[in-house]
This record gives sequence, C-alpha cells and structure tokens, in this order.
Amino acid sequence: MQTTDRALELTGYQRQDFSVCLGCKICASVCTVNDLSFNSNPQDILQRLFLGREIAAEEPLVRFCTGCYRCTGACPWNIRIPEVVRALRETLSTESPFEKAFKASLQIWGRVYEPYVLMRAVPFLLKGGYIKHMSRWMEYMGFHLPHKVKRT
Amino acid sequence: MDYGYYPGCSLTGSAHKLDKGIRKVFEKQGHTLKEIPDWNCCGAFEYGNRNELADFSKKNLEKAKGLFSEIIAPCPACYKNLKEADEKREFAVTHPMDLFDDAFFSSMKQARDLKGQVFTPYYGCILLRPKETSIKNDTVMEEAITRFGGEVAGETVKDKCCGGNQVFINKFVTEKLSLLVLEKSQGTIVVFCPLCHMAMKTFSGPRKVVYFTDLLLYIMGETSAL
Repeated sequence: MQTTDRALELTGYQRQDFSVCLGCKICASVCTVNDLSFNSNPQDILQRLFLGREIAAEEPLVRFCTGCYRCTGACPWNIRIPEVVRALRETLSTESPFEKAFKASLQIWGRVYEPYVLMRAVPFLLKGGYIKHMSRWMEYMGFHLPHKVKRT
Repeated sequence: MDYGYYPGCSLTGSAHKLDKGIRKVFEKQGHTLKEIPDWNCCGAFEYGNRNELADFSKKNLEKAKGLFSEIIAPCPACYKNLKEADEKREFAVTHPMDLFDDAFFSSMKQARDLKGQVFTPYYGCILLRPKETSIKNDTVMEEAITRFGGEVAGETVKDKCCGGNQVFINKFVTEKLSLLVLEKSQGTIVVFCPLCHMAMKTFSGPRKVVYFTDLLLYIMGETSAL
C-alpha cells in the first residue's frame, strides 16, 4: 500500500474529503512553518494526497509542523492538517529518539516518566546541544522516583 | 463542588508548579479535586494513528466512569484528547480556564493587586484551536490582569505558536518561534500550557515566565513574589 493511502487511513479522512479544498491557500498564509522561512504549502500536501501521490519525509511541513492548528482555524472546511502531518510522520517513520523514548515510557509505566525519557535520549541531547539548557530546566522541573510514577 | 481531576504526565514532573497551583486555587475556592484512579498518559501529540491516540483517553474515561461527571484537565493536550475521546458526551470535560469567570474572580479573596506591573498573556495554540475544543473565553487572562490592576501588553502574540512541540525534535524551530513571541511581548509572560512554559523558560533569559495559576495565587496572597 502506498504511504499516502496508509496515512489517510490513520487520520480517518478519505481521499474525497480533500476534494472540497478550494485551493485558497489560506493555510499556507497562516502556517507557522513559514515563520521559520521555509516554504510550506499545506494545500499542496492535501492536493497530493487527493491525487494519491507520494509525499517525502523531507517536506518542510512534514518535518517542522508544530501542530499549532492555525491552518485548521483558518480553513473554510476546518481540515485538520496537523493530524494529517502526524499520520504522514508515522507512516514515514520519522520518529526522533525523544519520541521513541516517550513511547517506551508509556510501555513501561503507562505514563511519561521524564527522568527516564531524558536518560534514554542522552546521546541525542548531547549531540543536539540541549545540555546548556539543563540548569534552566532544573529551576522548575519536579523530580520523583520511578516507583512513584503511579501516585494514584 | 467535587471534580474529577486528570493531571497528566507533565503535571507530575516538569509542570508540577501548575499542578500545585491548580490544586491550591481550587481548594481556596472550596472545590475538591479527586484524581482519576490509575490514570494513564493521554498520548499527547505523539501518535499519528487517530484511533490509537483516542484509545488512551477512552481508557481514562473508562476509569472515571461512575466516579465523576465533570473532569478537570489543566494540560491543553490532555484536555483536547480527553474531550475528543468523549464522543458520547458522557462527561463534562472542562478546562480550568472555563471556570475562571466573573463569579470566580468576584469571590476571590484579594490580598494584592497588580498595579504597576506589565503582563503579556500568552495562550499558545491548543487552548484556542481547533475551535471544537477551544476554551470558551479567549480573553480570560486579559480580564483577570486588568481586573486586578495590571497592564496588558503584547496582544499580537497571544495565539502564536511557541514551537514547544518541536523542542526535542528540531530545537532551532522552538528557539526561533519562542524568540519571535518573546520579542513582541512585554513584561512578565503569563502562560497556561506546560509546553509553552517550557519553551518560553528555555529561551527567555532574564524575562519572567509564570503560570496563570501563579498569578492568581499571588493576587490571593499565597505567594509573595511572582
């Protein structure tokens, strides 16, 4: 199965749902990704899904969508583009080490245990230059031992 | 009134201040918050499969069945996921912001005012969008700040994205977007979302970033400094 079809299946949308897109590109005009000086045109992604074309993981919207729902708020049809992007990321397997650690924590505790997520993502945090923010995070982060993950 | 309470993962760790703040504010107003027993993570925005994501929150609602009719969920992501999973509207899934109304502020014990202080209320994305799950009053923070004598600034950034969602994926995205918000804001930044708080805190330098609950507790005289 094509990744686009699989992604659509995950969102609950059907191809024909995007036939209503008027091509007004208001989604592109409000898209947060464009604040980053990348060219993002969500309408183009919708069109390609409608036509059954493939979408690359390198697409700026697929990489940098922040899930802000500005596009959905502006869209005359309220199309939930962030959810489409999330489904695309899932089918294209673009998970970051952090997201993998997040899901692994859920497997163990059913909740996100932050110290575990951070520990698992240490190589990524080191490489990504996150360590300099650590002291700032310590100012407000709470810490509890793993046996207390489920307090209730 | 007795409310069911769904804190969510962030509020047990990095946003524990918000958790404590909410509990205290509600206690002060004579309400009781009872945690949903053995709740699990709502999945936040980490799952591309719509049904997989909804199942997490459906499990939580299942655990609340028979115990609560109204559930308070402070974290915007948890709130959105819970509300959307409650397809049959069996519960009133409520965001605390929707309970901060005129009657609430009138009944608040006021020990301090905000005179001479400037605040930028910053809602971020998920409290305001999508509209099916947005909070009812999108000027609640402004109303509270002016009501207690503070000055509101930075109106244009209130619904901009901080990029918090990308902080552990592409850090530069969060950095750039947060700095855009910070540049156009003034004074203390008032947030509600744990992710906005984290993004703002990480890149705010000397600027103050506080939770809205901190502000309420300050007015009530529970904390001495913001």
